[in-house]
Amino acid sequence: MRQTMPVRLSTAEETLIEQLKSLGNEAEAERISVAGLPTRRVESYHYTDLKTLLKAMPPLAAPANEASAPALRVPGAYQLMIANGAVQSAGTAPAGVIVETSEGTSLSTRDDVLVHLNGAMAKQSLNLTLEGTVDCPLQIDRRIEGAAAHSASSARVFVADNAKATIIETCSGSKAAHVGNHASYVSLGKNATLTHITVDLSAEEATHFSTTEYELAEGSKLRSLVIHAGADLARSQVFARFAGEGAHADFTGLNMVDDGQHRDITLDVHHAVPNTTSKETFKQIARGRSKAVFQGRIVVARDAQKVDGKMMMQGLMLSDEAQILSKPELEIYADDVVCGHGSTCGHIDEVSMFYLMSRGIPKAEAQVMLVRGFLEELIEPIEGDELREALNGVIEGWLQGGIQ
Amino acid sequence: MTTPILEVRDLHVRVEDKDILKGVNLVLPPGEVHAIMGRNGSGKSTLSYVLAGKEDYEITGGDILLDGESILEMEPDERAAAGLFLAFQYPVEVPGVATMTFLKAAINAQRKARGEAEVTTPEFMRLVKDAGSRLNIDSAMLKRPLNVGFSGGEKKRAEILQMELLQPKLCVMDETDSGLDIDALQVVANGVNSMRSSERSMLVITHYQRLLNHIVPDVVHVFSDGKVVESGDKSLALELEAKGYAAYEKDVA
Amino acid sequence: MAMLDTPTLKENIDQETVDKVRALDVDKYKYGFETLIESDVAPKGLNEDIVRMISAKKEEPEWMLEWRLEAFRRWQTMEEPSWAKVSYPKIDFQEISYYAAPKTTAGPKSLAEVDPELLATYEKLGIPLKEQEILAGVEGATGETATPYGGNVAVDAVFDSVSVVTTFREELAKHGIIFCSISEAVREHPELVKKYLGSVVPVTDNYYATLNSAVFTDGSFVFIPKGVRCPMELSTYFRINEKNTGQFERTLIIAEEESYVSYLEGCTAPMRDENQLHAAVVELVALDDAEIKYSTVQNWYPGDKNGKGGIYNFVTKRGDCRGHRSKISWTQVETGSAITWKYPSCILRGDESRGEFYSIAISNGHQQIDSGTKMRHLGKNTTSRIISKGIAAGFSDNTYRGLVSAHAKAKGARNFTQCDSLLIGDKCGAHTVPYIESHNSSAVFEHEATTSKISDDQMFYCQQRGLSEEEAVALIVNGFVRDVLQQLPMEFMVETQKLISISLEGSVG
Repeated sequence: MRQTMPVRLSTAEETLIEQLKSLGNEAEAERISVAGLPTRRVESYHYTDLKTLLKAMPPLAAPANEASAPALRVPGAYQLMIANGAVQSAGTAPAGVIVETSEGTSLSTRDDVLVHLNGAMAKQSLNLTLEGTVDCPLQIDRRIEGAAAHSASSARVFVADNAKATIIETCSGSKAAHVGNHASYVSLGKNATLTHITVDLSAEEATHFSTTEYELAEGSKLRSLVIHAGADLARSQVFARFAGEGAHADFTGLNMVDDGQHRDITLDVHHAVPNTTSKETFKQIARGRSKAVFQGRIVVARDAQKVDGKMMMQGLMLSDEAQILSKPELEIYADDVVCGHGSTCGHIDEVSMFYLMSRGIPKAEAQVMLVRGFLEELIEPIEGDELREALNGVIEGWLQGGIQ
Repeated sequence: MTTPILEVRDLHVRVEDKDILKGVNLVLPPGEVHAIMGRNGSGKSTLSYVLAGKEDYEITGGDILLDGESILEMEPDERAAAGLFLAFQYPVEVPGVATMTFLKAAINAQRKARGEAEVTTPEFMRLVKDAGSRLNIDSAMLKRPLNVGFSGGEKKRAEILQMELLQPKLCVMDETDSGLDIDALQVVANGVNSMRSSERSMLVITHYQRLLNHIVPDVVHVFSDGKVVESGDKSLALELEAKGYAAYEKDVA
Repeated sequence: MAMLDTPTLKENIDQETVDKVRALDVDKYKYGFETLIESDVAPKGLNEDIVRMISAKKEEPEWMLEWRLEAFRRWQTMEEPSWAKVSYPKIDFQEISYYAAPKTTAGPKSLAEVDPELLATYEKLGIPLKEQEILAGVEGATGETATPYGGNVAVDAVFDSVSVVTTFREELAKHGIIFCSISEAVREHPELVKKYLGSVVPVTDNYYATLNSAVFTDGSFVFIPKGVRCPMELSTYFRINEKNTGQFERTLIIAEEESYVSYLEGCTAPMRDENQLHAAVVELVALDDAEIKYSTVQNWYPGDKNGKGGIYNFVTKRGDCRGHRSKISWTQVETGSAITWKYPSCILRGDESRGEFYSIAISNGHQQIDSGTKMRHLGKNTTSRIISKGIAAGFSDNTYRGLVSAHAKAKGARNFTQCDSLLIGDKCGAHTVPYIESHNSSAVFEHEATTSKISDDQMFYCQQRGLSEEEAVALIVNGFVRDVLQQLPMEFMVETQKLISISLEGSVG
């Protein structure tokens, strides 16, 4: 008879188990000791085998003593900071913004290892309630400071009925091999409108995990943008649930991956009710010996008729050693729907390159120009010149980092 | 008195809580061509869909008789087999199904429903070729998927081709002139006129008078706010063109 | 004479035909088969003794037995895969008889209904196999015989196939083509079998393939020598119908340099198989400039309207484009089985080799289909094309699962994938799960997927022209799958169109 062999634990896993025990979370410690971190056999981690990829686990974060320079500051934005998991005091909030804190994580009890770990580790959540039209963008600046640390942070955003706001979250910190696990729970009230951007700018040595959960009420409108521009290993998970009819969301993402890096954007959109629409647009750029991963799934529940979902993944490879892996899925249980997905993967169009170069533009510049054009559709719909400029700056910085 | 081909009696129709047809009365004796004219939104197209049995329309009163028999309880295909043909304003695209395949399937389905033998392939080919040549439809077009990528004119000609092949008792033509240039209009009108016969009736629904220069009606009905507000001979169309619809609508109010 | 006196033949087949069949050189294969009919029913369960017994019955050489035993030992350490989007009660592999004898008790009544057409084919020994297949297939496909005629016809058919194949064999032999049962190939052409068996689907490949390697009972073997274009389409129809070979069928097709073969696998009879589990393995090898076209129409028993019964079809099919400029094309029409778990794949090893996958998968009732393909680009300038059309009706679930990957060395690899799903009714599900893995920048992949339903406008239009609701659905669905239909050999195409209508019966209204 077959026997279940206990998994062989890596050093990182062993450290993690110790950490969970020290936090008094025996259940989670037990779970990791039995199953280990997910491998490629776990479908949702098919391309991101955490067991192999997570080489080391730094100690649990202590309170931050000093702060590094902000990786990105959006001019005119109201600044909020979470350093090493602790919500920092902020200046007077603009009209319509209520800032509070609460204990523990903001996430649901989803069966996912990163969600479990955030639940075990996050001590505090930053809670934002947004009412009316919030004039300035809100920036949630998440940092991991000091020596290499394993840190979890959490935020919860309620956009009230009919409210309108823009939030940009940034993750960064000191130059060390941190492991960050960040969580956001974002709920949109009836007819609320939100632009929510998360930009990872973690240190090159760091590991970045983030999970965002969206809940969309009737008639709400969401634009979500995830940008990966930092960390050696990154995985951003987006779980969205349409809970009210007439809601629409644009889920977008930009996965920029450099030599030696592995970055993963995983999206799961659940149309639980009829008459909801979503459009998913994701772009991946890989150069050097790197791996870019996109997993996206649209689920349409039974009886969720008249749903329209369109997902597009476009990959651009700038080097021979790069890998772009994608898994765009449709899971449809209602018949009166229009859903589709497309995925393309290739290199820079040679005809366009030739055209630009024949007009006297040097090769490197021509490449940057074409890549910029390729990304334009992600940035262009974002409202606010200063915000767009800041995001373009992030992209520019990555592009100047060396196109071969 | 001969039984009319079509008789519509005090027909009331509702769509999503909105009354669209509010007591339509029509009598089409065999061999006659009637035109229904009305502005957009007057309920003309609804009438054509209801005659053909499209779902989503709630009949709240009245009756529709084809050859003296009520057809309200009949499915669209049963009505078709009974001899009712609707030339669509916007013919539907059916990808992957060659026009030829569709034509044969339709002819045989109707024959089967009437207990007749299926058409043989050579006979079918001859029929299609004859009708096609009159309507400027070549075999290449018939090999293409039904209505997919057809121009406006091609779609309308294909509708008339189907009408010729199916030889219906009652032809309902919904805005058959829309999207046609003058040459194409002539081709289509010739096709329709060649089908006029003492056993067949036609109901021509149109927005403009110009079609009626080519297909000359016996009776013209003016349609407004879900019912017929005026009926007369072909001169009514010209009168309408000159005065505008408003003049007739006022009569109602 | 005893050999021919199977109970099903006596009454309905005229003596002349029997004589004709007997006059042909019927070989040991049938003797073996006959023994089976008479007595061999293996006890339930699977162990090394059963594997030894199967090997002994097949008079296999020692190396083949060792191969099977190695597979069996490996299988014991493996776990049943669970990643597919299908659910079914756990299979007790010890409750299955791995050597079930055909049922021979059903009366000739059912045969009488089928017979006129089959008889006609008996009398025309020498007409292409595919034509006979159409006769039998259409008969089955139109469902004119209400009586399940599984066992009997299978026996007849096998009986027949041996003779027909034998007739063709002479013709094929002139070209140096070998077409025989895999059992026979093991005995007669051990060097070829040793070289190629398991070279595409390794013994250790996956749970079901490993099980098949241990216990496969029969299947087809095809060898097309260098430069030969096979003059006729080869078919496995009759073999499939044989009950005991259908269960763990093993097929191996080798196309040497510059050769061509088109192979048809027609499971077109409404087979009421008692055996729940089918775990077949098909291996294709194409050397330089060779081309293999493999077409399947699968219509196994899908279970009743409550989802009871039906075949579990866990099949491993893989083609190896081993040579430069080689080409393997899979076309499948899947309408049967309670559960289908099947991914006909291509390993594009040779430079400029090409893989194709064309699929129509229709599920109705409580059927579950998880099917697709894998295109592994390893060689330079390799190309692949995937066209998948899934239609879900009733309470069924229909999943396309596919992998396209380009190795770092597969410079200039190209793939185009189009997956379209159609839902009929609101109690079914259609899913698309593509894995797209590019490991080099010169590879260009394009993937498109859509899910929709038949539009009300299309239905109304067709009905206005006199088509009934079901006719309209069948017509629109046939249009939807047209791109794939066109890939089928003519005879299969006609049959498939009918099969689509039948499969969708009761899906509307």
